[in-house]
Amino acid sequence: MIEKRMVAAGFAAVMLLPCLAVAQGASQGAAPAQDQQAVQGNAEAGRAKNSMCIGCHEIPGYKSSFPSVYHVPRIIGQNARYIESALREYRNRDRNHPTMTAVAEGLSDRDIADLAAYYGSK
Amino acid sequence: MRRLEMNMRAFPAFSAFRPLSRTTPRLLPLVGAFAAAAAFALPAQAQSIDAGRQKAEEVCAACHGKDGNTPIDPSYPKLAGQYQDYLEHSLLDYKHDRRKNPIMGAQAKPLSRADIRNVAAYYASLPGTVSNHADRIGR
Repeated sequence: MIEKRMVAAGFAAVMLLPCLAVAQGASQGAAPAQDQQAVQGNAEAGRAKNSMCIGCHEIPGYKSSFPSVYHVPRIIGQNARYIESALREYRNRDRNHPTMTAVAEGLSDRDIADLAAYYGSK
Repeated sequence: MRRLEMNMRAFPAFSAFRPLSRTTPRLLPLVGAFAAAAAFALPAQAQSIDAGRQKAEEVCAACHGKDGNTPIDPSYPKLAGQYQDYLEHSLLDYKHDRRKNPIMGAQAKPLSRADIRNVAAYYASLPGTVSNHADRIGR
């Protein structure tokens, strides 16, 4: 009898788990939207995070070769807020470029703010 | 000479260098036709910075600034001195919804292929402050 009850409790717990996970996911999903406003970029910190950028964006005349050939944009001195929104758009896939999507997916909101502060103008 | 012929056999691409006398007469009309076609096609491809300036003042300047370097909102990009082919690529992406932005989508859709080429050429021609020289970082 006791065993049966334990099995039932276990079963209930297993059934409830996904609900808990969903609830947790929802609260996590809401968090970055708040952070978005809060994160202030630090140019010094950005300097240490630019290893994925320099190979293209710090080479004058460099062209991306895939999926089509054109110059990678000049980003040094661009508006910092624009650089932030561009990286977010790549991360959200509102903007599609395989290399930039891959790079942006590895960046946190803090990384994005720091890189924008480093490359951008105020 | 014999060595050259051997190379031609090994690498067909070399055959372009074979003595001209054998192939030239037959190809001449073809070459002429290509040259004529290119002469007609080129003006259509050419960009006009002046036409670009006109279009830009109508469509772009209100947000990106008259000089292309002073956008009215810091989240909008500076365009002056940006690469022409990148600007063209961006506008085409907006036009065809590959890049999703409600404002830019609406601005880019009515632009023709020639408008896009001209506007991109115009902004690329302006003196700007964007750069890809590392020594400009932090200035």
